[in-house]
Amino acid sequence: MILAHFWLAFAGFGAALPLGAWQMYIRSPLHGWISDPEWYYRSVTAHGTTMAYVFPTLVAMGFGYFVAEAALQRPLIGLRWAWLGFALVVIGTVTAIIPVALGLASVLYTFYPPMIGNPFYYIGVVLVVVGSWIWVALMGINMQRWKRDNPGTPVPFPMFATVAGAYLWGWTAVGAALELLFQIIPAALGLSRTIDAGLARVFFSWTLHAIVYFWLMPTYIAYYTILPRAIGGRLYSDAMGRLSFILFLVVAMPIGVHHLFADPEVGSGFKFLHSVFTALVALPTLLTVFTICASVEIAGRLRGGKGVLGWLAALPWRNPVMLGAALSFVMLGFGGAGGLINMSYQLDSTIHNTQWVTGHFHLIFGGAIVIMYFVIAYDLWPHLTGRSLDSLGLMRAQLWTWFVGMIVLTFPWHYVGILGMPRRMAFYDYSDPVIAAQAASVTMSVIGAAILVVSGALFFLVLARGHAAPRTAPPAYRFSVAVRPPRALPAALNGFGLWLGLMIALTLVNYGFPIAHLLATPGTAVPTVNVGALR
Amino acid sequence: MTEPPPPPSHDEGAERIEGIERRWAMVGIGVLLVLVVVAAFAGIHQAAMPQSRVEIVDPLRLHLSGEFIDSNLGSAVEPDGSVTVRAIGQEYSFTPSCILVPRDTPITFRATSADVVHGFLIDGTDINLMLVPGYISSLRARFETLGERYMPCHEFCGTGHEGMWGRIKVVDKAVFAQMAAGAKRVSCVK
Amino acid sequence: MNREWAAILRSKWFPASVGITAALAIAGLLVGFVVLPLADRNEQFHSVWDAICSAAGLIQNAAREPVVQANYPTTRVELTPRMLRGASAESIGRGATLALRCTMCHGARGLSEANTPNLAGQYAVVIYKQLMDFKTGARVSAVMAPLVGDLSDQDMRDLAAYYAYLPRVPASRPAGEPPQIVASGAPLRSIAPCGACHGELASKPGAAWLEGQPFDYLRTQLQDFASGARRNDIGEQMRNVARGMTVAEIDAASRFYAGLRGPTGSQADASSKQH
Repeated sequence: MILAHFWLAFAGFGAALPLGAWQMYIRSPLHGWISDPEWYYRSVTAHGTTMAYVFPTLVAMGFGYFVAEAALQRPLIGLRWAWLGFALVVIGTVTAIIPVALGLASVLYTFYPPMIGNPFYYIGVVLVVVGSWIWVALMGINMQRWKRDNPGTPVPFPMFATVAGAYLWGWTAVGAALELLFQIIPAALGLSRTIDAGLARVFFSWTLHAIVYFWLMPTYIAYYTILPRAIGGRLYSDAMGRLSFILFLVVAMPIGVHHLFADPEVGSGFKFLHSVFTALVALPTLLTVFTICASVEIAGRLRGGKGVLGWLAALPWRNPVMLGAALSFVMLGFGGAGGLINMSYQLDSTIHNTQWVTGHFHLIFGGAIVIMYFVIAYDLWPHLTGRSLDSLGLMRAQLWTWFVGMIVLTFPWHYVGILGMPRRMAFYDYSDPVIAAQAASVTMSVIGAAILVVSGALFFLVLARGHAAPRTAPPAYRFSVAVRPPRALPAALNGFGLWLGLMIALTLVNYGFPIAHLLATPGTAVPTVNVGALR
Repeated sequence: MTEPPPPPSHDEGAERIEGIERRWAMVGIGVLLVLVVVAAFAGIHQAAMPQSRVEIVDPLRLHLSGEFIDSNLGSAVEPDGSVTVRAIGQEYSFTPSCILVPRDTPITFRATSADVVHGFLIDGTDINLMLVPGYISSLRARFETLGERYMPCHEFCGTGHEGMWGRIKVVDKAVFAQMAAGAKRVSCVK
Repeated sequence: MNREWAAILRSKWFPASVGITAALAIAGLLVGFVVLPLADRNEQFHSVWDAICSAAGLIQNAAREPVVQANYPTTRVELTPRMLRGASAESIGRGATLALRCTMCHGARGLSEANTPNLAGQYAVVIYKQLMDFKTGARVSAVMAPLVGDLSDQDMRDLAAYYAYLPRVPASRPAGEPPQIVASGAPLRSIAPCGACHGELASKPGAAWLEGQPFDYLRTQLQDFASGARRNDIGEQMRNVARGMTVAEIDAASRFYAGLRGPTGSQADASSKQH
């Protein structure tokens, strides 16, 4: 079942990746103006929907089920429900992608009401989310049952972190779900002719920011629980890790209004309040960077590295997990620096909604996060298939090409974003002197996209060769062990009651008034505009 | 992937770890505090703050009455010498399609959308707004360099989104005053 | 479960975490709702309470400042995205009767012999809006003005329903590849592909179906939009486009939609690139 999740996730990824490269090519100076721009926006919708919703959700679900079994060392409770969740994701994906392919829902994955597409697109997305909510519930139940059966024992860290990610997603998805269920789907079905576009944007911002942390969760869990073990080291601190995930859970969500800095429907006071908590969300990442670097240093020293930097040289750089994590860290560093710029109202206004933003989230998500999805796949595959993955050289080539491709793709994007290039346009007039200055950068990005497609193909080659390898019996799967494994933990660090309470309370403070006020005020709804309507 | 030798795990080491962790966390919190304070400070001293009021307007009736009727769009000189620019975004153009403003003058933009969500960005400046139908976006700005800039719509607004580029022209104060003397609303639409 | 909560509530974690979060939120609220708004020199608030309400995003109606009114009649039509959909058979029938007065110029079945627009298969919204604009004088026509004077609102809806119901010009598909100005527009002059509004790629309410219209009519309308002689388009949406087009592009687009082949089209392509 875990393998099914991963394969479906990567199948979606494999389908959406060339779409992204095609989009890059089509709007570059290498290609003339596309005769029907609608195809471009159709492709963007398909690429975004698959990459942002389907792919990471399935990876998180598959990895979560794996952690639940491997970390708790018992079979998953609710296997049938898990299959039901999987089925919902499959049905939802198919339901959503058909209208997109037919050009009936080219509204981009961010929906953008009052534009309204075919109802099946939205219903499909909702089904994907509902399927993932089953996973959220199963993660919680499995942890609770384990705690009941092992009173007083700390919940294993990988499970704790996974449940934090699950709860984060469960609550995060509520924003978009409310938008879809109560605003967009009634409008798409024709039950309602108007929609409050501002309120919809507020709901979507609830999901929009924390969804990035949901994508990030498997990556961070891999940093903490796979990397130190794979390179022969130890996790520096178990408690610090728990604290990081708790911080994510509490403050990742009620900060989404910083995506609406330039919007007219939210008051400036709430914009400032959200920017304060947005600053806070960098804290768990800083803690993680510290803990992981320290853990890696331990490994380096255990392997005989000496001196201030000697431990770096002693690291097993030929190990794909080490390599992938290091490349991921580099991209996270660049992306994080860009993120600090997006965070401040003053700096953000130069680059808001330009290609900079596209560059930023591709670097963080497509780069730092997805490269760790590859690492996770490489690490888990032998345990999932019972066949070893031996193509270490190919894996390294794949990780390197992904890294190089992502840098070549996104750095020029950041640059043209500063120049003011708007995102999501089917073509640009490069014959104009102002735009011509951006042409070389755009061409660079096309090369980056091409490298990424090659890297994606290599990834599938590695997995395919793994499936063709002879059967082996891999040893029992192990996660990293902390330097000082905790014997007992305070109740607050061994469960989520307190933190869920804080998360919900903070959401009410930060979102309660803006949402309630827009809901209660008449005259904010505007007529819906149907896309894909026939002539 | 061999089992590592057990690392030193006596309490002294543990205390040291906790000390280092705590210091690192403090540094992190310090950096973030500085960032927030800088943002608040900049907000006060450079007037670089989001719009201070939330105002609504009916997008279907923009052309019938109120400040966004066609003849009221463009740049207006206020009694205090500042300039108010009113504009609308629609599928797939801005009106006025060429905005004219004087240099070194406080400018207030007031803009909204007649249909779907549009973006309002002036290349090479930090003027950046979302136009959400039903709401009025506003922003204060000041232009220091003369010349013409592009003003692309930066939010996907439909099949013709790639063809939605406005322009803005910054002219000398005297030139602007001359043009504004004859007409009540000014633009560089020919 | 309850024992776990009891342990949490007793521990230092509970007051610490709740305290820090609350302190941050209160500090953020104070700065964001009181300090910053009051420090904003551009905005004069009557009171602290007024500042707080504004910062909270309390919705206000735009202040009524004097506006500059147009010195010519402007369109009074409010276009909603789904107006005039699903006309009844009675409405179409009444429209057919009313249309008898239009046949001289617009043809018996909405297909014109003269250089007047073909109305057969035109969007109902378009017919309705133009009739309204002729009546209010927002669109000026010496021929149409006297003909629409006695039409009621329902008459116009019926006429719109009737013409929308008629089949379009047969084989109205224009010949050949569209010129660049039609297929792609000219982005930096804010000209979107024509079809993005006019129905081939997507539809915008109020934008007419252009294929098969007479060349002279199309070219005149584009010229009039460009010069400002015609100004009944809401928000100047069509004037913005036409003003940016070159003479050759106006010619090429009109030829294309009129279904005419010819060298003019390719010449227009070449000149549009040099703009």
